[in-house]
Amino acid sequence: MKRPFVILAMSYSLGIILVNYMRVGFWLIFGLGVITAILACLNFRNNRIFVILAFLLASMLGALNLKNSYMRHKCDIGNFVSYHDNAVYNLGGFVDSQPVIKNKNTIFVFQVQEAQVNNLKWPCCGKIFVRLGFSQVINYAERFILTGTLRPPFGFSPASRSYRRYLYTEGIYLLMDIESSLQVIPQSGKGGSKMVIFSLWLRDKLEQLLRRYLSDLPAGILSAMLLGQRNSVPWLVYDNMIKSGTVHILVVSGFNVGIVAFIVNLILKIMRIRRKARIILTVICLLIYCLITGASNPVIRATVMGIVFLLAYLFKRETDIYNCLACAALFILTANPRQLFDVGFQLSFASVLAIACLYPKLKSFLRPDNYKFRLMRFICECFLVSLCAWIGTAGIIAHNFRIVSPVTVLANILIVPLATLITLCGFSLVICGYLCPFLGRFLSITTAMFINLFLNINAAVIKIPGAYFYF
Amino acid sequence: MLNLTPQEKRVILFLLIIAFCGITLNNLSKLDCRIKKLYSPQLRLSRIDLNKVTLNELMMTRCLPEATSRKIIAWRQEHGNFKSLEDLRQVKGIGEKRYEKLKGIFFVE
Repeated sequence: MKRPFVILAMSYSLGIILVNYMRVGFWLIFGLGVITAILACLNFRNNRIFVILAFLLASMLGALNLKNSYMRHKCDIGNFVSYHDNAVYNLGGFVDSQPVIKNKNTIFVFQVQEAQVNNLKWPCCGKIFVRLGFSQVINYAERFILTGTLRPPFGFSPASRSYRRYLYTEGIYLLMDIESSLQVIPQSGKGGSKMVIFSLWLRDKLEQLLRRYLSDLPAGILSAMLLGQRNSVPWLVYDNMIKSGTVHILVVSGFNVGIVAFIVNLILKIMRIRRKARIILTVICLLIYCLITGASNPVIRATVMGIVFLLAYLFKRETDIYNCLACAALFILTANPRQLFDVGFQLSFASVLAIACLYPKLKSFLRPDNYKFRLMRFICECFLVSLCAWIGTAGIIAHNFRIVSPVTVLANILIVPLATLITLCGFSLVICGYLCPFLGRFLSITTAMFINLFLNINAAVIKIPGAYFYF
Repeated sequence: MLNLTPQEKRVILFLLIIAFCGITLNNLSKLDCRIKKLYSPQLRLSRIDLNKVTLNELMMTRCLPEATSRKIIAWRQEHGNFKSLEDLRQVKGIGEKRYEKLKGIFFVE
């Protein structure tokens, strides 16, 4: 079998999809799984039957994992709160995400470890979403006792696209609104992972560096492109990019991961470090970069694919893009099977899959290699990649966002090469900013010029009649 | 001499070219202030001009209910152009929280 991971990922996903739309109990699937496993053992020597049973078992594993993810832990805080619960809770725990300050509100995820109502106190677990009605500097891993009422999230939009569904996918079932700083009592000590604390500290430093060299708007855009921090991107810029179908460049993806791997590898090569150690160090740097950028689905996909490619290079094995992609999908879906229904996951995998499948076929049909001029060849290749990605994602975008942007292909031909340049300039700025600050000043001017050009092009393309339409 | 690989050569060339562009732009902007526009994005690219926005555009932002959007346009017709963003507070239906949200979306020239 040439691509075992592809079939495995497909079977696993199929199990998740089936069980999501069918009312089947956990123990029924478990029983079927045990029977399938026994049959697979009995047919160990009959290759064809064994393979079929193994893939059947993989789909049951997916189904079981999804069912398991819906089951809350016995001590989960969500089990103690009823729908119309007006009781005031004192919750002890730590901040489990990097807090965001927006419109004078501070928003973060809180990992609950202890709960108290009146004089009753008990240890518990689970995550809640906290909104402070004021600005307060809070960092990841800081311990607090929060006082307030708890409520389940509202779901105003249709069930498939509601915010409630999004929070449920993240394993959050309750919200707490806090209006006074007296309800937030700091505690000593820190929770959370040390690796994440280090990554967030590094991200802060990098953001500060970008803000030192660039004004607010270019720094915000570059921060989104390099560090995955989209909070500083103005609403209008984001909206224009959705309309032109270029919002993907604000998502940290395979290209960024590739550049990080390349830079790290190059620096280590200059330092004359051996090949094996170089690859291992590159893998570690990719993992840190994944954490810096918030470990969203596209970054995890790109990081897993990058690591698989590097390990294949280390062990001198041939790589296959479909197998790598399937590996990444299996990794994400094993950690959280509900991500299969997340739009970010679907868009990320659909675009890469479409490029991997369609690009070679379209390339052999249009033959851009026959062009005499290098620039023409480059433009043609850009057009083909954009077209493939658009074909792969148009359906998902239309279904979820109710927007069709025929201008996407044109916008991407113009913007993707520019975004590539901006990303390269951004990484150069980050490195030179630390090593050689006076050079950083000049690099920042060129970077700002490219960002300005990108914003102008984006604003211009959406003014073309019929560029986009909502339905 | 340094033994550089093609990859290293490309990286060095790229860094030198963007630094060269930066120095040139920096120098030109000292001679002519208009050059600065090349690398300083205009405000209209990131925010909507409150004095030029139409009712349709306001509703397309999906940040305001239709009634409040109409009130903003009515205020502008009644009092003339907004002098500053602070004037938004005088529009009925825009409280402290909504004003904070709108501050990041609109600007007044």
